[in-house]
Order: sequence, then structure tokens, then C-alpha cells
Amino acid sequence: MHLNVYSQHINKTTKGYQKISRLLLVIGLTFSIIMPLIAMMINIFSVNIIKIVTSTKFLSALKNSLLLSAIATILSVSLAYILAWCISRTAICFKGLFTIILSIPMLIPSISHGIGLVILFGTNGVMTNMFNLPFTIYGIWGIIMGSVLYSFPIAFLMVLEIFHLEDSTPYEAATVMGLSRMEKFKIITIPYFKKPMITVLFAVFTMVITDYGVPLMVGGKCITLPVMMYQDVIGMLEFGKGSVIGIILLIPALIACLVDSRIRENGNKEFVKKEFRILPQKIRDFGAYTICTISSLLVLSPIIVFSVLSFVNKYPLDMSLTFKHLQHALKLNAGQYLINSLFIAFLVSILGVLLAITSAYFTVRMPSKISGVLHLLSIMSLSIPGIVLGLSYVIFFKGSYVYGTFAILILANIIHFFSSPYLLIYNTFGKINMNLESVGMTLGISRWHIIKDILLPLSKDTILEMFSYFFVNSMITISAVSFLASVSNKPISLLIPQFEGQMQLECAAIVSLLIFIINMILKGTVLLLKKKK
Amino acid sequence: MEKLCVINLSKSLSKNAVLQNINFTIEEGEFLTILGPSGCGKTTLLRILIGLDFPDTGQIFKDGTEITNEVPSNRGMGIVFQNYALFENMTVLENIEYALRRNKTLRNSSRSIAMEMVALVKLDEHINKKPSALSGGQQQRVAIARTLALGPDIILFDEPMAALDADTRMMLRTEIKRIQKELGATIIYITHDQEEAFAMSDRIMVMNDGKIIQLDTPENIVTHPANEYIQQFVIKNLEMKIDSLIKYVNTTPHN
Repeated sequence: MHLNVYSQHINKTTKGYQKISRLLLVIGLTFSIIMPLIAMMINIFSVNIIKIVTSTKFLSALKNSLLLSAIATILSVSLAYILAWCISRTAICFKGLFTIILSIPMLIPSISHGIGLVILFGTNGVMTNMFNLPFTIYGIWGIIMGSVLYSFPIAFLMVLEIFHLEDSTPYEAATVMGLSRMEKFKIITIPYFKKPMITVLFAVFTMVITDYGVPLMVGGKCITLPVMMYQDVIGMLEFGKGSVIGIILLIPALIACLVDSRIRENGNKEFVKKEFRILPQKIRDFGAYTICTISSLLVLSPIIVFSVLSFVNKYPLDMSLTFKHLQHALKLNAGQYLINSLFIAFLVSILGVLLAITSAYFTVRMPSKISGVLHLLSIMSLSIPGIVLGLSYVIFFKGSYVYGTFAILILANIIHFFSSPYLLIYNTFGKINMNLESVGMTLGISRWHIIKDILLPLSKDTILEMFSYFFVNSMITISAVSFLASVSNKPISLLIPQFEGQMQLECAAIVSLLIFIINMILKGTVLLLKKKK
Repeated sequence: MEKLCVINLSKSLSKNAVLQNINFTIEEGEFLTILGPSGCGKTTLLRILIGLDFPDTGQIFKDGTEITNEVPSNRGMGIVFQNYALFENMTVLENIEYALRRNKTLRNSSRSIAMEMVALVKLDEHINKKPSALSGGQQQRVAIARTLALGPDIILFDEPMAALDADTRMMLRTEIKRIQKELGATIIYITHDQEEAFAMSDRIMVMNDGKIIQLDTPENIVTHPANEYIQQFVIKNLEMKIDSLIKYVNTTPHN
């Protein structure tokens, strides 16, 4: 009987620890997500909201934001659809290589896309000089071009996934029934793509409307809401006004999140899928090659111009090679800021992965009454634009001991990028046999050993993917950290607008190139580690 | 000799009574099958017996000692799940050896015990394969070997053949009976398949709506069904299966 009481005690103690851990996670996430947002919302009462939202500047920024985001979204998603179709429904070679190249813009900050456009199509740009172009990049069309370039890879990868998940059986049945291509498109393709494409459209729209990197670089006199918010907060320290815009920017992100969750709920979670059998077709495949090659060159063009600008003496007058711009950038402390960025990115990746694994473990493999709340908090950051999160952190943490330190940048980045890695590991844990822990209990293997020796090794690829996601995004982000960084903890990405402001485009190009190279190295390492069995 | 004794076991989930006043005993070396339709409470009963769940009321005694609130690993029981629950990142041998290596008393002889178990379930040729390279039947044999390795004196099977094809089921049935005889283990086996229950068991416990409807030998259940439910669910279904088996045998050409 003594042993019995002891076992009960052990059981209760373990469950107590688990309960406390779960509760701590919920409190931690509430403190890092909900509380700052509430602080920002309270802040709007310090200003005259009606006066702000009816001002000419605000209405013009709102109109610009809506218009350019709508156009950029349509262009970006259409292009993504065409290229995803080329990759998944034609018999072209080098599909993997094209996919990698077309995803490259994800490895540089959005502001670098703006710089790339300035270098290519600015007043003294490469293309402007080469072809004597009559138009200017500055303004709404420049923002649209930059936004398409910046948002396209995300849209492309999302649409590619939809193509990969499509079942070929209905098409085969339709062929047997003698339906034409157009009829197949109407009765099979459109109904299948309709819902997931709505998710893609909302995701891209939210991405574009909340971005301020591209509009800041090439917007000229065309002011968007995030730029207005940035100028009000950074330039005039008008936090109340910034908060009003922040809340407005939350709306599309919230709608996107709700639509996505609604579509996921109604979607088929499990189904048997038959792969498409694609036979070579000369004309179609030639068209696909042409589209993919041109798009790849366009996507690579900013990287190419960064390389040229970084290592030639003075474009276009003196094209001899030099390291003087690199030396100059290093003299301006780019090296120190790069170290800051690497420090932040590594810590964000390690802590973010640990936090996401712990949250997902509690929600998937140890469900309890509190799991629903934890899951909701974990996916909440999907609906908070970086610039809004950054502002809410300034308001909430100002005056606290973490303000102005690396800790606040690390926390802001973890929270900003938390949802996607969390969902990755949430899905992976959900697919692993749910009886493992029960088997462990009967075999005398502790929960910790089941996690360490079985769950984590089985989730290796997902964990590497999560690490890479946190790292790359921490290296390129500007929006979440621009309000929070100080001279001592500034990440290297923030040097890009600074150098651009000082008309040192070569240094801005070098910084963009450095970020790109580091992210490529990391992605390559992750790929190698994933292949290593 | 009485191996396991269950007294007045009851359990409710969300105010629904899943188990109501369950009482039974099992003798050492006996093969007891719990037979019932989905949702009758048989899996809940199994989870309570192994210690993965706890009853609202009632007691469980093993070899005369109460184990109602004991942790699963201290009960001297093992369980084999329907979906195998193997460690996918480990080989067959590693799967069997893993728990042994974590056990202080068995650690030194873990390799020899694991090899013994591999031989017992006839998987000698597959020791270095990962579970994904094995058939469903082979995976289930790894799960059985892993459970047997720790030397439990009661082995619980939770519908171990539900995911297997007919031929593999038939083969595994013989294997389980052979292993039981070789080790003299006490077995509690869950199934909703009447034929399986009647072919393997010393006694069958028929359950419905969280209650025991009849607990007796297969012969007595056929000759003296406790009520109309047993007549319909057990005997009629069994007769139908035997009829189709006879038809199949008669119509299949033999070499």
C-alpha cells in the first residue's frame, strides 16, 4: 500500500509541473502578445481619432494603400499561378532549380527590393540609362513593382503547394467523359482552387498593405499607411496617431487570419491523392521554359545589381573592381551590426524553436482544458503585422529594463515569426503515433526520453525548417524592430534605409548582399542537414 | 491461481457512464478476450487495467496486491496497441532494446534479451530494418517483442489485428497463441471480431454499454447465451462468418 501512495504522489507532482508549465506558457504569450496590443489600443484614446482618420493625409494614404495593395496582390498571385503551373503541370527540366531561384527574394529584406528597383530604374538607374527609359520608378507603380517582387515568392510557394495537393482523378474521369479543356477548368480547376486561392489573396494583400520597406524606398510622394505610421512614430514621436494607424492595419490581417482558419476548417484534411502524369509537349514546355527563365532573371536582377554596385568603382563611369565600398561599409560599423544581427537571429531561432516545440507538444500531445487557449495564442501572431507589433512593444515596454536591449528585439522577433513554425511542428507532432507516450509509460520510459529519443529525431526536418524560418526572417526583418532598435543593438537590416538616406547606395547594396549570402549559406546548410539521414 | 481481480470498477467521461460496476477475475496463464462493439467501454477498461487511465470507483488487484493507482510501469503488465506505436527512427533491434536499456536491472543483459525476443517472434532476418520497411504483420510482431522483452506476466492486446489483412491476421493469431504457451503468460485481448475471440480464448467477456453481458467459456456462450443480445451480436454474427468461410472453402479450387 505504501508503494501505491508513493506512485499517486509522483503522478500528482508530475501533473502539477505540467499544469504549471502550460500556465506559464499561456501567461508568457499573453504578456508578449495580448498585453502590448491592449497597451497600444489604450493609447489611441490620447488622440482625436476622428480628426486623424478624416485628415486629408490619412485618407490619401488609405486610398494609396488599398489601391496599390489590390493591384500588387492581383499581379503577384496571377504571376505565382502561372509560374506554379509551369513548374507542376509541364514536363520542363530544372524544376527544383527554378523553384529555388523564384524563392530567392524571400532571403532579402523588402527594403532591398526597393533599393534594387532604385538601382535598376531610378533616375540614374542601370536600366534607365541603358534603355533611356522615360518613366520614373518613384510613386505608386514603383511600389507596386517592388511589392510584387517582394510578395511573389510567398504566393508562388503557396500556389505551388495547392497544385501539388491537387488530385488528378477528376481530370481523368472528365477525359473519359469527353469534356473539353475549358469545361474541365470550369468544373474541376476553379472549384478546387477557389478556397485556397482566397487564402493566398488575403495573405499577399496583408503582406503588401502592411509593408513599409518598399514604399519607403520608392514611394516618393505616394504615402502609404505604414509609411505614414513610420514617419509619425519615428519622426514626430506621435505614438497615439501611430496606434490609430496600427489598429487599422490590424483589420486586413485579422480578416486574412479568420478567412484562412474558416477555409481550413471546411477543407478536406485527409484524402487520397493521385499524382498527375505529365507527358512532354513541345510548345507548352517551350512556353514554360521561357516564362520560368525570364522570371528567374527578373527575380535575380536585384541580386545581380547589388553585386555589381558593391564591387565596381563607380557605376556606370568606372567599372573596375574594388573592395572600397565593402571597406567603407565596415568603417561605418556594418561589421558590428552584422554581429548584432547574427546574435539576434541565432537566439531567436533557438529560443523560438524551443518555445514552438513546447507549445505544440502541450497542445497536440498533452491536450487539456487550457490547450485551446494556448493554441489560439500561438497562432495569433499570424494576424499581427510586424510594424504594429513593433509599435505595441514600444508602448508597452517603454521604461522597462528590457527596453533598448537585445532582449526586446529577440522577443519581438520570436513573437512576430512564431505562428508559422508553431504550425509546422503542430502538424508534425499530430502525425506521429499518439500512443507513443502511452507505450513509454507502460515500458517505464519517461515522457522526456520519448520526446528526446523519438519525437524530436522524428521531427528533425521540421525543426531544421523552423530554425531556418526564424533565422532568415530575423535577418531580413525591419518592420518589427525599427521602433525598438537603438545604436547599441541595431540589426544590420536597419542599415539599409540609413545608408539609402545618406545616399550611400553602394553600402546599402553591400548590406543587402551580405544578408542574402548569409541566408543562402544557412538555407544550404539546412538542406544538407535535411538530406543527411 | 488468481492473477488479476477487478472489483466494482466504474468510470464516467463527460457525465456518461463508460464502465458500470465491472467485476471479474482472471487466472494465471489464461487467455481472456473482451469482446464488444465499438464504444462499449472495452478500450477504457484496458487503459484502466494498464494504468493509463484511472477509475472513478473500484479496485484492481494483481497477485493479491492492489494496483488501482499504481503507475503503468510498476504493474508488471505490457500492452500492444492496434497501430503498433513503434519508434519509427529506430531499427527493429533498437525498438526492442530501448526500454531494456533504460531499465536499471535489465540494462546489462539488454542485447541478449532483445535477441531472444527477436527469435521468439521470428524476426531474426529483419533486426536492422526500420519499421517503415516492414509489413503490418511484422511491425505488430516487433511491438509484441518489445512488450515481452520486459517480462510482463500479463499482456494486454488492444485490437492488435484490426489493421491487418485476413491472411496476416490468421498467421499472427497462431503466433500469439504459440508465444503465450511458450511463456505461460496471462493475456487480456480486446477485439470486436467474434471469430477471433472464439478461436483464441479460454474465456470471453462480452461487453455492451459499459457492462459485462456474459463472461464464460466459448462453448458455454454458444450453448447457453445469457440473453438476446449475445444471441444476436455474438452467435448470429459468428454463424454468418462460419457460413461464408464454408462457402469460400467449397468454392475455392484446391491444388
